[in-house]
Amino acid sequence: MTTSFHHSTGDLRLEVSGLGVVYANGHRALSGASFSLTGGTICGLVGPNGSGKSTLFKSMMGFVRPSAGVVTINGGPVREALKAQVVAYVPQAEEVDWDFPVSVWDVVLMGRYGAMNFLRRARLSDRLAVEESLRRVSLWEFRDRQIGELSGGQKKRVFLARALAQGGRLILLDEPFTGVDVQTEEAIIVLLRELRTSGCIIVVSTHNLGSVPEFCDQAVLLNKTVLACGPTASVFTEQNLTAAFGGVLRHFHFERSTIQSHDGRSVKIMTDDERPLVFGKDGHLEYKDREGRESLIDERRRRETEAER
Amino acid sequence: MGMWHDLLVPLQYDYMVRAVVVSGLIGVVCGFLSAFVTLKGWSLLGDALSHAVVPGVALAGLLGWPLAAGAFLTGVLATGAMALIKVKSRLREDAVMGIVFTTFFAAGLLIISLTPGGVDRKTIIFGNILAIADRELLQVVVIAVVTLVVLGCKWRDLMLFCFDATQARTLGLPVVVLHGLLLVLMSATVVAALQAVGAVLVVAMLVTPGAAAHLLTDRFGRMMWVAAGLGGGCALVGAYASYFFDGATGGCIVTLQALVFGVVFLWAPRHGWLAERRRARGRSGSGKAQEVRL
Repeated sequence: MTTSFHHSTGDLRLEVSGLGVVYANGHRALSGASFSLTGGTICGLVGPNGSGKSTLFKSMMGFVRPSAGVVTINGGPVREALKAQVVAYVPQAEEVDWDFPVSVWDVVLMGRYGAMNFLRRARLSDRLAVEESLRRVSLWEFRDRQIGELSGGQKKRVFLARALAQGGRLILLDEPFTGVDVQTEEAIIVLLRELRTSGCIIVVSTHNLGSVPEFCDQAVLLNKTVLACGPTASVFTEQNLTAAFGGVLRHFHFERSTIQSHDGRSVKIMTDDERPLVFGKDGHLEYKDREGRESLIDERRRRETEAER
Repeated sequence: MGMWHDLLVPLQYDYMVRAVVVSGLIGVVCGFLSAFVTLKGWSLLGDALSHAVVPGVALAGLLGWPLAAGAFLTGVLATGAMALIKVKSRLREDAVMGIVFTTFFAAGLLIISLTPGGVDRKTIIFGNILAIADRELLQVVVIAVVTLVVLGCKWRDLMLFCFDATQARTLGLPVVVLHGLLLVLMSATVVAALQAVGAVLVVAMLVTPGAAAHLLTDRFGRMMWVAAGLGGGCALVGAYASYFFDGATGGCIVTLQALVFGVVFLWAPRHGWLAERRRARGRSGSGKAQEVRL
């Protein structure tokens, strides 16, 4: 049965259908949530605090028993996928005990435990996997450091390396960019794109809206249920986001702002830590980086000239 | 010459030699386990367990069961009660623990005072390793050996469980079993340690060596060995010294542990108080610190 996982290079499938979760204290965290993803893809899981993002994560890791619906990975139950080392989780920095007496190497090696024997003695293949993972996130030189002695970005990369060493194909990242410098963010995104190319499904839970269109192919908009899912550009409409976040988002309308025609097409946007999300005039998404999106601009230009005619 | 002779006196008595060796063994096992207990944040739970086993020991003494069996039973009952109350109420964990373990302890004291022919109250509360019976001794040895074997085989799993239970679960490890295993090992060692230092001081055996070891090293494997060594060494020397202190074995062992912890807390090379202070000062005048290094 588990062989289905080994033969699934490139067509990993995650399906969440009609998922409902009610906690023991009666709190209804999710109801009727449905979406599906096929690898390789990077999917942003977006919603305000308390919208059920972490509950959805826990469901995908089999930690909560759904009161309705089901999560399947490659058509099988989550439990089987866990046994086959398919699911890897990269925790938030706050969840980790940074004073724990383990080195970078130790933590990444833990990613291999599921594949090891009863005594969890590392074999050569385990050591090689750990070394390769550490080199991929450029932490090989830091392998003997205690984890608390790392910078914010390095801390994040340790747990990414653990997911790599595990060989997980459904990779769940919880708020990967909080407390991380710009270079690390870029490095993480490059790595996630490589994983996507190799057929992985990467689900990124974040409240940082602006980062999602930059690197997520798909998005799931969450608020107690799935409000919208699909390609980021179709999910990330002002309408959908307002429905998900209500009045929580800060709006910035250019026509109401002090921006005048002499500012031309160049507008500088500064924020303290969050990447801002920018919408164009007719409600389409604006991207920071137009490289690779030339066709989009051509299409918009064509539409504009048609409208003028 | 005379002083050396005085120091060797305890070893002329069989019961002292036995007490010293058994205490040392218990100290090693508790020390090993303390590495997990302190890192998992279960120190208070250890305290709760050590009080919760008292009614079990009292009942077992009354019924002629092995003490360990009774202790284990009420230990498990208390853990279950705590889990149940926590899930079914809005109370915080520390309140739940406080209620449950005092209730069990009180029940134990009641049973003991209502049954004069049963176990001696002093033995349970303060321990009495100097007068340990053969049957109890055997129990202690069995518990110690089994615990050491289990920890020897599964310490990596338990380390991952303590460090990141979420990860353990996503790797398909049986987290519920590991959780139960650690609880069972704790209950068992509590019973063993009860004989040496008594219910009131057991928690020190399960916390102090691990806490000191955590300040001394940054690797879990080393921390286990250091904790086991400290636990064993303190128990050995403490039990030996108790010959000169009117047989207060528990008091001697735990006081010694506390002294060692105090020294480590102040002078541990990297994580001691003085080292941290030195580092903080170095940071405020970093230019100078660099000069010194060159």
